[in-house]
Amino acid sequence: MDLKSLRQALAYSLRYRRFLILAVGGMLIGTSAQLAVPQFIQNILDAITRTLAARDVVALPAARQAAAAAEMGYGLPELRAALESPLQVLLNAALLILLFAIARGFFAFGQTFMSEKLGQYAAFDLRNELFEKIGRLSFSYHDRQRTGELMVRATDDVEKVRIFISQGLLLAIQALVLLVSTLIVLFLTNWRLTMVMVPILPVVLLLFMGFGAAVQKLFMSMQTKLDRLNSILQENIAGIQVVKTYVREKSEQARFNQSADEHMRTLLRVNRFMSVMFPFVFLMVNLAVVAITYFGGRMLIASELSLGQWSKFTLYVTYIFFPVGQLGFIMAQAAQASASAGRVFEILNTDIEVRNRPEAQALEAIQGAVQFQDVTFRYFAGNEPVLKAVSFTVQPGETIAILGATGSGKSTIINLLPRFYDVSQGRILVDGQDIRDVTLESLRSQIGIVLQETVLFSGTVRDNIAFGRPDATQAQIEAAAQAAAAHEFIRELPRQYDTEVAERGSTLSGGQKQRIAIARALLLNPSVLILDDSTSSVDLKTELHIQRALERLMEGRTSFVIAQRISTVRNASQILVLDKGRLVGQGTHEELMESHELYADIFSSQLVDDSEAMASTMVPNPSLRHFITA
Amino acid sequence: MFGDSRFVLDQETSKAQSVSRTLGRLAGYFRPYWALMLLTLALILVVAWAEAYTAVLIGQAVDCYITPALAAAEGETVAAASSNCWFERTGTGDWTRNQLLRGLGGLMLFTTAIFVGSAVSRAFSFYTMAAAGNRIIKRLRTSLFARLHSLSLGYFSRNETGDVMSRLTNDLETLQQNLSFMLVSVLLSIVSIVWIMFEMLRTNWRFGLISMAVMPLMYLATNWLSGRARREFRKARREIGNINADLQENISGVREMQAFVREGASSEAFREVNAANRDANIKAVSYTAALNPSLEALGYLSLAVVTLVGGMILLDIGAFGALGGQVITLGLVITYINLVQRLIQPIAQIAVLWTNVQSAIAGSERIFELLDERPDIVERPDAADLGLLRGEVELERVVHSYEAGEIVLREVSLRAQPGETVAIVGPTGAGKTTILNLIPRFYDPEAGTVRLDGRDVRDVTKDSLRRQIGIVLQDTFLFNDTIMNNIRFSRADATDEEVMAVARLAHAHDFILSLEDGYDTVLGERGGGLSQGQRQLLSIARAILADPRILILDEATSSVDTRTERQIQAALEELMRGRTSFVVAHRLSTIRNADQVLMMREGQIIERGTHESLLRRQGAYHELYTSQFETVPV
Repeated sequence: MDLKSLRQALAYSLRYRRFLILAVGGMLIGTSAQLAVPQFIQNILDAITRTLAARDVVALPAARQAAAAAEMGYGLPELRAALESPLQVLLNAALLILLFAIARGFFAFGQTFMSEKLGQYAAFDLRNELFEKIGRLSFSYHDRQRTGELMVRATDDVEKVRIFISQGLLLAIQALVLLVSTLIVLFLTNWRLTMVMVPILPVVLLLFMGFGAAVQKLFMSMQTKLDRLNSILQENIAGIQVVKTYVREKSEQARFNQSADEHMRTLLRVNRFMSVMFPFVFLMVNLAVVAITYFGGRMLIASELSLGQWSKFTLYVTYIFFPVGQLGFIMAQAAQASASAGRVFEILNTDIEVRNRPEAQALEAIQGAVQFQDVTFRYFAGNEPVLKAVSFTVQPGETIAILGATGSGKSTIINLLPRFYDVSQGRILVDGQDIRDVTLESLRSQIGIVLQETVLFSGTVRDNIAFGRPDATQAQIEAAAQAAAAHEFIRELPRQYDTEVAERGSTLSGGQKQRIAIARALLLNPSVLILDDSTSSVDLKTELHIQRALERLMEGRTSFVIAQRISTVRNASQILVLDKGRLVGQGTHEELMESHELYADIFSSQLVDDSEAMASTMVPNPSLRHFITA
Repeated sequence: MFGDSRFVLDQETSKAQSVSRTLGRLAGYFRPYWALMLLTLALILVVAWAEAYTAVLIGQAVDCYITPALAAAEGETVAAASSNCWFERTGTGDWTRNQLLRGLGGLMLFTTAIFVGSAVSRAFSFYTMAAAGNRIIKRLRTSLFARLHSLSLGYFSRNETGDVMSRLTNDLETLQQNLSFMLVSVLLSIVSIVWIMFEMLRTNWRFGLISMAVMPLMYLATNWLSGRARREFRKARREIGNINADLQENISGVREMQAFVREGASSEAFREVNAANRDANIKAVSYTAALNPSLEALGYLSLAVVTLVGGMILLDIGAFGALGGQVITLGLVITYINLVQRLIQPIAQIAVLWTNVQSAIAGSERIFELLDERPDIVERPDAADLGLLRGEVELERVVHSYEAGEIVLREVSLRAQPGETVAIVGPTGAGKTTILNLIPRFYDPEAGTVRLDGRDVRDVTKDSLRRQIGIVLQDTFLFNDTIMNNIRFSRADATDEEVMAVARLAHAHDFILSLEDGYDTVLGERGGGLSQGQRQLLSIARAILADPRILILDEATSSVDTRTERQIQAALEELMRGRTSFVVAHRLSTIRNADQVLMMREGQIIERGTHESLLRRQGAYHELYTSQFETVPV
């Protein structure tokens, strides 16, 4: 069993010592009360037999009374006393049972409630930490992970750990306490009869151990299968349109079906173990009852045991084997919990590749000078680098256009700047400081980014624009929206800025979503701006608005633009031409036009189209070519 | 993320009657396993019988053997006494102490045999139940999944992915735990309770009634506590749905979260949702935690009463003295103590399990809710196969809105001849994508008709319709699978050569080969190290492979660079030849070559014609076109 993870999980319950102590306290008191009850029942039974004996004895001639009493194991005064108020004795005992039962109930409640609370709080912490960790894990981690799998870990696996802390942990302690104290009580009552059942215990415990080890592996594989199942599910929800388009419902269902089948088969295998184990525990309890009835009966007849003691044994036997059974159950739970804890801590123990150095300083308000020095980057170790020894220098306020074929490394450059990934070799400087020496927060909060894919979050339009600056005022938000040419359409939405953005942004068109994303970046008032194909999915007119807004915004800020527009390229202070991960050209449009074959090639291929377009549409202005490309 | 929008109002009142309906419906799923269930039930009866009967046997051990043996002095014999003893001691004659002891041994051996039989039956009943339960869960799981596929895109835009997933994961998980062991335990407990009560009444009905005096109290306690618990569990289930939704959203948007340094704020927001879930659970647990101790206390009360009253009868004192007589023996009292204990156990178990059942019912409700979700795009029973399309597309006075009151298309009509290319232009939000969504019947229009080759799309099977339509969207979705399988997604039987051929056409072949694993490269959910443009190339290859009659390109080349686009454009043009194509694009080259250009604004087609004819008209299209020209600085 993966005890290390389980121990790590249990450490979370130590954070809430108050609940733990209350739960254990409640358990100890409640268990003591529980232990006392059979004693009271024995007292009643003893009182009854004593009274009956007393009546028999009293009926005898006075001379024989003492001898008869002695033969029955009583003293004569004791029997006389029993005759005086038999009802009172019975009532007292019954009342005591009741009192203890209530006390027991009260403390048992405290125990259960507190331990459930303990589990809930521990799970709360685990889930929060998972969420935080997932949020801070680098892009490279998320590139490899499936959403469905991460979700299973944050919900289902945490839940399994919680159940163990809430129930198993305390029950395990309780079972041990109950077991040991019952054994002591019974031993003191009659050690010979106790010895009858003692040998069964280690056998049962060993069996449980073996069971736990075997079943833990099964639980692990069950969770892995559940992962796969949920990943298919998640993919099919996220990609529902693709599935429908290519009429793949049937085959996806078959795939899901097969996974569900595998999951079920593992589950049935687990069930087979459980089906055998629990009845076995019951059988052990029952056999102990038989043993006590038989051996106890013999001892009773031999006057080595009183009837009250004997029935006390039959009651206490449950207290021995019930915890044993419970331990078996807990073992199953622990096996499951440790399998799950292992999966949870796998995430929590993952190193965050991109993180603050211990001595990292907050980056002061930056000027915007950026320098790449021999930057090489590969997404996965061992893979072909996507950037190869790229070096360039950018002065504050410059606009850098990055050009290159699809997959040439354009996106990678802009992913490295906010440290979404760390360079494999070389370094990147902002205002002369290696970006790995400053805190991530201070770096990223000064960079405005519009990523390729627009992801909006549930919440209102306002919430989404203020995503990076939740404290922004309405005026600031509107100003950003205006700059992003979003204000107008937002005003036309049913509830303007308070309109809810559906998760998939379905009520908003692609262009509208993108403008919100631009407003979101602009609101940060960043010193460095990164635009990745940022206006590709808006219509011509809107694109123009945005284009102008962006041009205004880029003024005074260092801007990196992956653009396919010639106008951007022409206006850029520098153009970087990438080819298969190498920086093959650098300079202004004019310089590159003269000296650079690839750039001239890219550019002229566009110009050809441009002139064609002009010829056919009679639009004289060459600036139009930025959208009459291809 | 911002939580408040998801807050669901408590609809407690209407839920009460639905519980029995939910349970009834769940029971329906057991029908295919009736034989297995009968077997389970038979096994459970054996177990329950054994439970009750062994208690009686142990009582007999006292009355028939131990007490007489106590009475028989060494070497003496005693007469067969109690009429209750029918095992071994039903015979006549006198018994010596040794004979009695041997009899006791025999009785205990017999009891052991019954116990062993009971354990075996119990094991089998657990397993048969789990076998049926898990098959039912699997069936539910797969039919939920199939239901998801039958729902239109509208459902997915209205509901959060995380919440939908939660129904197939958390809710199903809870149900699963309940359908196997718990159900058999509940059944076993019920049978045991009935049996033991019967046994108590049969042995001595007066004493039996006294032993059961606390049961109404137990019922009241269970009813009240579990009622409260159920209400709280429902809230908790909704909260876990919220947790899922929040997780899903933030995992999907983790890049934005980091880019905008929102890790802290998002964690804070999650913490709130998480705390709400925690508190809802703690509240629910405060009722369930009280249940077991209350029942246990009542059980002890019952024990006290049985012992007390039994004692009073035996001693012939107090109020119950009158009840007594020779019928009640010490053995009988001990039997009842045993029976009461055996009765309390299943009652407590049912009560505890009942709270789990509450949680499962709450989960089932959510599962059935999803299963009952009516697909708004339903195939007619008499829907015919579309047959091979020529490619004529016609929209007649089509009206559509996604949300009531917000009309997206107003009486749009259009007609495309087979092989034509139709370009749709207009400002964002004009309804361009909506038109594209209506052709493959992702949505049904509110009014008007969509016809392909003159047939209403609602009259033909969805499969035959969509199989002939290829779509390339702006947002590329790729599966967590190899590149080969991702392209092959559109035609499962395509050979590797065919896949590579279309990859070449889409200009994806070269970059695929440059990857370390080539076509076997496994893509992550977000395409792993691939750029957006590369992913778009893959989706174009995928569409080409489908060899559709109608092609829909919604800004299909928006993310590729101009050179690649030019190459793809050539491939697409090749592809569009002979196929009816609908194109939403912002690049004029595509628009210029179109047979028809539709200019849209606010859900209407305001101008139509060719690029040249529209320019000549000097209308909105011209304005859109020239506005670019006027304002772009040189």
